[in-house]
Amino acid sequence: MSTDENRHEKDESHVYDGIVEHDNELPLWWQLTLYGAVAFAFFYWFGHRLGAIATPGQVYAVEVSAQRAADAERARARGAVDDATLATLGRDPATLAQGKQVFTTTCAPCHRADGGGVIGPNLTDAYWLHGSKPTDIFANVRDGVPAKGMPTWGPQLGVERVEDVVAYVLSIRNTNVPGGKPPQGELE
Amino acid sequence: MTASAEGIAPEAGRRVDGETRRIVYNDSITRWFVGASVIWGIVGMLVGVLAALQLAFWQANLPPYLTYGRIRPLHTNAVIFAFVGNMVFAGIYYSTQRLVKARLPSDLLARIHFWGWQLIIVAAAVTLPLGFTQGKEYAELEWPIDIAIAVVWVVFAIQFFWTLARRAEKHLYVAIWFYIATIVTVAVLHIVNSLSIPVFGLKSYSIYGGAKDALVQWWYGHNAVAFFLTTPVLGIMYYFLPKAADRPVYSYRLSVIHFWSLIFVYIWAGPHHLLNTALPDWAQTLGMVFSVMLWAPSWGGMLNGLLTLKGAWGKVRTDPVLKFFAAGVTFYGMATFEGPLLSIKSVNGLAHYTDWIIGHVHSGTLGWNGFMAAGMFYWLVPRLFGREQLWSKKLADAHFWIGTFGILLYVVSMWVSGITQGLMWRATDAQGALEYPNFVETLNAIRPMYWMRLIGGSMYLVGMLMMAFNLARTALAGKAVDGETTVVVERVEATEPPWAEILFGTPVILVTVVAVLAATMAVVNNEASLFLATIVVVAAILGTIAVHLAYDRTRPKWHRMLEGRALFFTAFTVIAVLAGGVAELVPSLLVTPTDAMSAEAKPYRALELEGRDLYVREGCYLCHSQMIRPFTFETKRYGDPSTLAESVYDHPFQWGSKRTGPDLAREGGKYPNIWHYRHMVDPRSVSPGSNMPPFPYLLTDKVDLGRTQDKMRAMRSVGVPYEARDIEAGRHDAEVQGAEIAKNLRDDGAGQVDPQSEIVALVAYLQRLGKHPEPENPAAHVASLAK
Repeated sequence: MSTDENRHEKDESHVYDGIVEHDNELPLWWQLTLYGAVAFAFFYWFGHRLGAIATPGQVYAVEVSAQRAADAERARARGAVDDATLATLGRDPATLAQGKQVFTTTCAPCHRADGGGVIGPNLTDAYWLHGSKPTDIFANVRDGVPAKGMPTWGPQLGVERVEDVVAYVLSIRNTNVPGGKPPQGELE
Repeated sequence: MTASAEGIAPEAGRRVDGETRRIVYNDSITRWFVGASVIWGIVGMLVGVLAALQLAFWQANLPPYLTYGRIRPLHTNAVIFAFVGNMVFAGIYYSTQRLVKARLPSDLLARIHFWGWQLIIVAAAVTLPLGFTQGKEYAELEWPIDIAIAVVWVVFAIQFFWTLARRAEKHLYVAIWFYIATIVTVAVLHIVNSLSIPVFGLKSYSIYGGAKDALVQWWYGHNAVAFFLTTPVLGIMYYFLPKAADRPVYSYRLSVIHFWSLIFVYIWAGPHHLLNTALPDWAQTLGMVFSVMLWAPSWGGMLNGLLTLKGAWGKVRTDPVLKFFAAGVTFYGMATFEGPLLSIKSVNGLAHYTDWIIGHVHSGTLGWNGFMAAGMFYWLVPRLFGREQLWSKKLADAHFWIGTFGILLYVVSMWVSGITQGLMWRATDAQGALEYPNFVETLNAIRPMYWMRLIGGSMYLVGMLMMAFNLARTALAGKAVDGETTVVVERVEATEPPWAEILFGTPVILVTVVAVLAATMAVVNNEASLFLATIVVVAAILGTIAVHLAYDRTRPKWHRMLEGRALFFTAFTVIAVLAGGVAELVPSLLVTPTDAMSAEAKPYRALELEGRDLYVREGCYLCHSQMIRPFTFETKRYGDPSTLAESVYDHPFQWGSKRTGPDLAREGGKYPNIWHYRHMVDPRSVSPGSNMPPFPYLLTDKVDLGRTQDKMRAMRSVGVPYEARDIEAGRHDAEVQGAEIAKNLRDDGAGQVDPQSEIVALVAYLQRLGKHPEPENPAAHVASLAK
């Protein structure tokens, strides 16, 4: 810090209502933060305008294509989802436990905690609105039925959780919980 | 207290035997404003504590008038405009009279200012809980109150500049510079941002829509922080801190540089509230780089405050006034370091929409504004009431410690909460899926922090009550006393520097050259502007060196001459402040980017427009954004990034700034109508663990469709392309859409639903979000339905 040199010592006019104003030098580190920030602004602005620094939209586009490639790779690795696999998962206790957890937080508000249906249809009867095959249910959860208010859960939950929850749904069908919503759709 | 005449020392060689004049200051106006500030401060913070409680414990919402969405604007308006506003007026009136050695010229204007401002506050306290709002943060008050604010502000300006005109002190002290900047800038900000078309008594639509409204709003919002909460309080610091410390101000040249750089740079920084949104990229980048450049100018003020305490630190330990000032200035430094940090796009990507921002503003408001206010009051009140000292120094010390711990508890809990939730939103598992797909999970993770914040805020409020008691006892023990002084009024003998010397001074020429070059950059292409920018930098550096070399010690410095001419000073301040606003706002307001004019953009149907008004009335935007940023973790949760076209007809825009609940930009069609119906009646029935207030009265209150067409006409006058036949069919269309939704709700088990109830209109709006309207042409659709 610079010494307290008072350049106004002789200048009586730098006194206001008894407040004396000294005139110390600007601290060097402070000046460096000022000039440094200005230099940063200069380089960032032109880096940005001339395309050397990516915009949030450009970064996003790269992320999305990387994501798509990774998703495709994972999909290839796990193979196609088929009825048999889903049916097998529907008997696997570990999957069911995870599926139940997803069901409780994500599905229960509309399909009731026990699957009996409130806003959405009863999942414990034998009637289905949009197909009863395991792959139909999988598609309905992943892609939703927007016209009927069933949200598209695929992007938010990810394929694995969708599988888990479909497995759980398969495990509760035809259990006909008491007090469920009346049947809707076609008999399976 | 009697101010001495020692301070008056006209410039050497100029003094001519002058007349001696006795001045009695108008200190009663200061007493009134101090009292009002303390009372409103307690009220505003009490409302803040209620809002904090509501976030932690939803049962504290008392619909319809005391729900979080109506309480939060009441809290922000009360603490900004009532608590800090009154404190600033008190400080400005007290210090200005003494710094320029002139009494306020008009006691009548002072009374109009005081009572006008209190009436505005009362009007705000009544209208905001009733749901009258323009839906723009910190500018919620409806148009008649906006006009009243403008009028009272002009009264204040007249009083202030009239005082300067009658001054007996030639040069303006740095505190006065900050007051000038405050008065002119707040007027410009308030008027430009509040421009709206009234529909009826207490309802209006912003003349700006979508991204334009967003840009104007945050130009205003950010600079309300700058010019209402910062510059006047810096001026107050420059008067009261050296007074209380009895120490000289550290550096005059630092105050010159940090004043001009602060007011010039601040105004550009608004778009940092809109980083990573659909706002055009050049504006975001400007907002970011100017925010980074704001760091040093802000710290200039902190340095001048803290270094003025050099040699008085022993006193800081014992004097509560100095304790508050030292801590207040330190919190200012902390908040103004955090601000530039949060303005970096990547940091903002984590922090935006979270509690980190809430913590940031509260370190500024509680730490800087609240503590500077406390220090000033503790110093002022004994002097205003002819007392040697405070009623209790111990109580003031206790206030300091409980306030400090309250702030720390508040700020730390918000840091933890904001960063935790921000990280949870973006967490993805090995499969690339969201770790926490359910938004409520991320809310419940930070619930304990909401309780911590409530405790911190309550401690601060207890401190305020201790201060009110202490000040009241001090005042009651004394008797109102007005300050007096004797001044020698100089007879002016050609002491005015010629105006040409100021106008054509080298700093002005240099700034003009650089500004013209920089402005040219805006209209040429990127490569050429890099070349121009290089010339700007070279010209600025060489010019600064030339100014230094040409500096003639025998002549008064240019800035010193400027300080002697209040009118020129004000004019230059206006130019410095307007530069950034014009450069950022004018291109955006004149040119609508082509991607905002997509053919997909269609105005809302009549009932959707009514629903939107309800959304604004309930303050939904305070917890729900409508702006999906281009991050994969965000698009997985909410859908594709928002575009400019989607909000182009939104007057006001509803992008929001905080996500206590999820983003709603693409809510339309996500859930069935009945989901929304149940969600409004009892949010926890469909979203367990939510902290949203219930809105049961929406089922019984009716929308007044008699006003719908007026609203559509008002919308058309601000540029929404409703055709005459759309407006004519407006009411009928609203009834048809209402009947459809009501029927659907009945079919899905909602029981009897009135097609004109507010819930139906709100559902119509929510289902429209992110959706293109079903009928291409509402009028034709209505006609086909009517067949």
